[in-house]
Amino acid sequence: MADRPHLSDASAQARKASYRQETEFAPERFERFDAPRYQFEITRRELWQSLGAGILLTITLPLSAQEPDAARVTRSPRQELSTRFLFSQTDPIRVLTGKVEIGQGARTLLAQAAAEELRLPVSALQLVMGDTDICPDDGGTWASLTTPQTVPAMRQAAAFARELFLELATAKFGQSADALQFTHTGITSGTRQLTYFELAELAESAKHPADAALTPPAEWKTLGQSVPPIEGRAIVTGAKRYASDLKLPGMLHGLMVRGSHYNGKLATLRGEPKLPQNTRMVRDGDFLGVVAPSPELAHEAANSIRAIWRANALLPETRLHEEFMETAREPVAQPGARYPGLITRGDPLNAYWSSQRRLESKYSLAYIAHVPLETRAAIAEWKEGKVTIHYGCQAPFLVRQEVAEAMGIPETSVRILAHDSGSAFGGKQRGEIAVEVARLARDTGKPVKLTWNREEEFTASYVRPAGLLEVRSGADAEGRLRAWEFHNYNSGASGIACHYDIPHAWCGYHPARSPLRQGSYRSLAAVANTFAREMHMEEWAAILKQDPIAFRLRHIADERLREVLERGTAAFGWGRSVRMAGVAQGVACNLEKDARFALFMEIQVSGADVRLRRALMVFDAGAALNPDNLKNQIQGAVVQGIGGALFEKVDYADTRIRNARLSRYRVPRFEDVPDVEVLLIDRREVPAAGAGEAPITVVAPAIAAAIHRGTGHWVRELPLLPALARIVNPGPAAEPARR
Amino acid sequence: MARYELTINGKPHTVEAQPSKLLLDVLREDLDLTGTKYGCGEGQCGSCTVLVAGKARRSCLMSVSQVGQQPVETIEGLAEGDQLHPLQEAFLQKVAFQCGYCTPGMVMAAKGLLTENSSPTRDEVRKAMNNNICRCGTYGRIVDAILAVAEGGNRG
Ligand code: FES
Ligand code: FES
Repeated sequence: MADRPHLSDASAQARKASYRQETEFAPERFERFDAPRYQFEITRRELWQSLGAGILLTITLPLSAQEPDAARVTRSPRQELSTRFLFSQTDPIRVLTGKVEIGQGARTLLAQAAAEELRLPVSALQLVMGDTDICPDDGGTWASLTTPQTVPAMRQAAAFARELFLELATAKFGQSADALQFTHTGITSGTRQLTYFELAELAESAKHPADAALTPPAEWKTLGQSVPPIEGRAIVTGAKRYASDLKLPGMLHGLMVRGSHYNGKLATLRGEPKLPQNTRMVRDGDFLGVVAPSPELAHEAANSIRAIWRANALLPETRLHEEFMETAREPVAQPGARYPGLITRGDPLNAYWSSQRRLESKYSLAYIAHVPLETRAAIAEWKEGKVTIHYGCQAPFLVRQEVAEAMGIPETSVRILAHDSGSAFGGKQRGEIAVEVARLARDTGKPVKLTWNREEEFTASYVRPAGLLEVRSGADAEGRLRAWEFHNYNSGASGIACHYDIPHAWCGYHPARSPLRQGSYRSLAAVANTFAREMHMEEWAAILKQDPIAFRLRHIADERLREVLERGTAAFGWGRSVRMAGVAQGVACNLEKDARFALFMEIQVSGADVRLRRALMVFDAGAALNPDNLKNQIQGAVVQGIGGALFEKVDYADTRIRNARLSRYRVPRFEDVPDVEVLLIDRREVPAAGAGEAPITVVAPAIAAAIHRGTGHWVRELPLLPALARIVNPGPAAEPARR
Repeated sequence: MARYELTINGKPHTVEAQPSKLLLDVLREDLDLTGTKYGCGEGQCGSCTVLVAGKARRSCLMSVSQVGQQPVETIEGLAEGDQLHPLQEAFLQKVAFQCGYCTPGMVMAAKGLLTENSSPTRDEVRKAMNNNICRCGTYGRIVDAILAVAEGGNRG
């Protein structure tokens, strides 16, 4: 391992990187490193303001009552206050949040949180999500933060509203709080009622309570229950409207003209296009698109344009790992960051060299795509210099910023209305399509809709980073690990810490240069880091001829993590012999984003073919705020993880992505996946950890471990299936020169 | 442009369209029946599944001129008033969705399946549904929902 920078190698410090220092940015903006796609000519417009109907109740929370992590979420000054509720004379109570619903259950969960503290059923509330003009900036919908951050913030605000209203109602009715009832429409005392609208009017001049206690978990009526998804009926009847289903009166249809190169730059147009009537071409630098009264005419218009594109070849895939090593920068410790790039303890270098036994391994993983089933769609409408954009995105406030920057207008002139999205998985954090549709619509005076097709979804977006990981570690004579050195090149810092009880450890993330645009993905780099860490543990267990669970338990101090492994061992029937050729079990565990969990898998291998027979996840996320939704998320994450573990890979060569369609890019289907059994450990008194992402991290190592136990082959590369095929059938062409 | 007299969810509709216009686009754009979804445009995902003459078909692979007189059924036509179809009820009971984008196509494909095989095994359901993608990964729940209806023998 002499050819790479590691902790003793000072020369790496001297390596000059000509691109931007990523560490200047908060890690959750990881996806925004790339320079903006388009540079537009700027026209400045006036600000305007918009207000929702009704009374917005702004609760001033004492700083101590705000969630501890609040300071890390980017907030505009207005959101120092908690503007959470909108009361009107006609509508149900509207609850405001900057989070959005992308299938993870935030709409229902946040309604539960507010309902619990307001002493109301969920049906009394209506969530308003992701409207940047009226909702508080709760940060993007990413990193499973809704549960640990937004739920407490919502509960706190609702508790304050409840106490405030109770004080006002007791004063008005001359009754004690015990005699009052919360109903759908107001607070009642016998036959008398104060509506929430009236209470909100009174509250405007009232003094706010100094404190409001949260309902203790033991008394929860709504939280902790498997409240079914609020939109369930709309979903099964097809009535639910996603951004791609919206129509506005007088709406025009846009279409981007992109050429087929990944990084194509517009060189010139050949001749004047013969555009159909009523259609127009929009060209601005490298930006080229059309606007037309119907989608058919938009296609005709686009086809009439002969554009010449210039493109540079992408770095060949065979050189990818070299490129990562050559452009790697030293990890930077970022104390207080959510995903620090460097975590160390003890004296790992000395501990390593003085260890009795040593082990070095390399792991890698490919670029993969998010493939949200709903491709991106957005509608933009300009009025008096302000643009309103409907978009099924994950991070409305970041998208607002992106559009404002691209269009050269203040953020106050951009309103993003986030619509529930047909899944996202980290892929809809950026605002590419919002910028495009804003530009297409700018001079039309009408709303313009832009929908990406599946191919654009693959090529005009960004991918999950590929990565190379190097791990070396040392054990003492008794087979106890004492040194751990862990390098991640390019894929990221999330989940890099070693939670095993190893006294000397160094874990670092080396940012590197990537040929493809890359960004967030469900659980970020925790997939890569967990794969390498768990595989490495598995390799040690094999070398030391120990049971992999027993070996792990010898290195785990955390009681809750021990418990998930122990419970799963019994529930799964770990180690029971199955008298069938090629059947084997595998396990992986993790402590990620405060959740503890272990996945047990049983597979059947024959040749290079792997069938997944059984899966059990034991999961402890603290309090299970909505147990069935938690199970659903865990099952879904395991299924999604199977794709990246076994076969998903973005294939690129020359200037193009070559598998940008569902017939060429394989995602998990019914026959690829086992039924996933989930055993939840519900700890009511422990603050709930988010869990929409974490479970995806253990899928690949559990399968790879089972493959090893079934075949004796170590497959250290994701996706596993093509790599296993190369091992099983080594042909001259099948194995290109690899590092 | 040509005129087409379509029967959709039991009701007649007249549409002016190019003969090659996809049934998917006619449903979504001309008739505002947006429960039928686009996911791939190449028959790979099943989001656009509708029933044509009672059989599950990909509306992204079928032009309006190919539909002719055959009756078309979409997700919007399944419930009778407030009364959900048993498959819709089962999807709701089992929460066989997350984002819900695949759900209309899943329900329609399941209806087509149960018309052909009224009591499929678990493996038969997986096999028959294998051309429908749920990116949220709710496959196990979808199989449960379909089997609940099949076993119940009440499949409308
Ligand atoms: S859109 Fe028709 S099968 Fe995917
Ligand atoms: S529920 Fe999201 S794609 Fe199936």
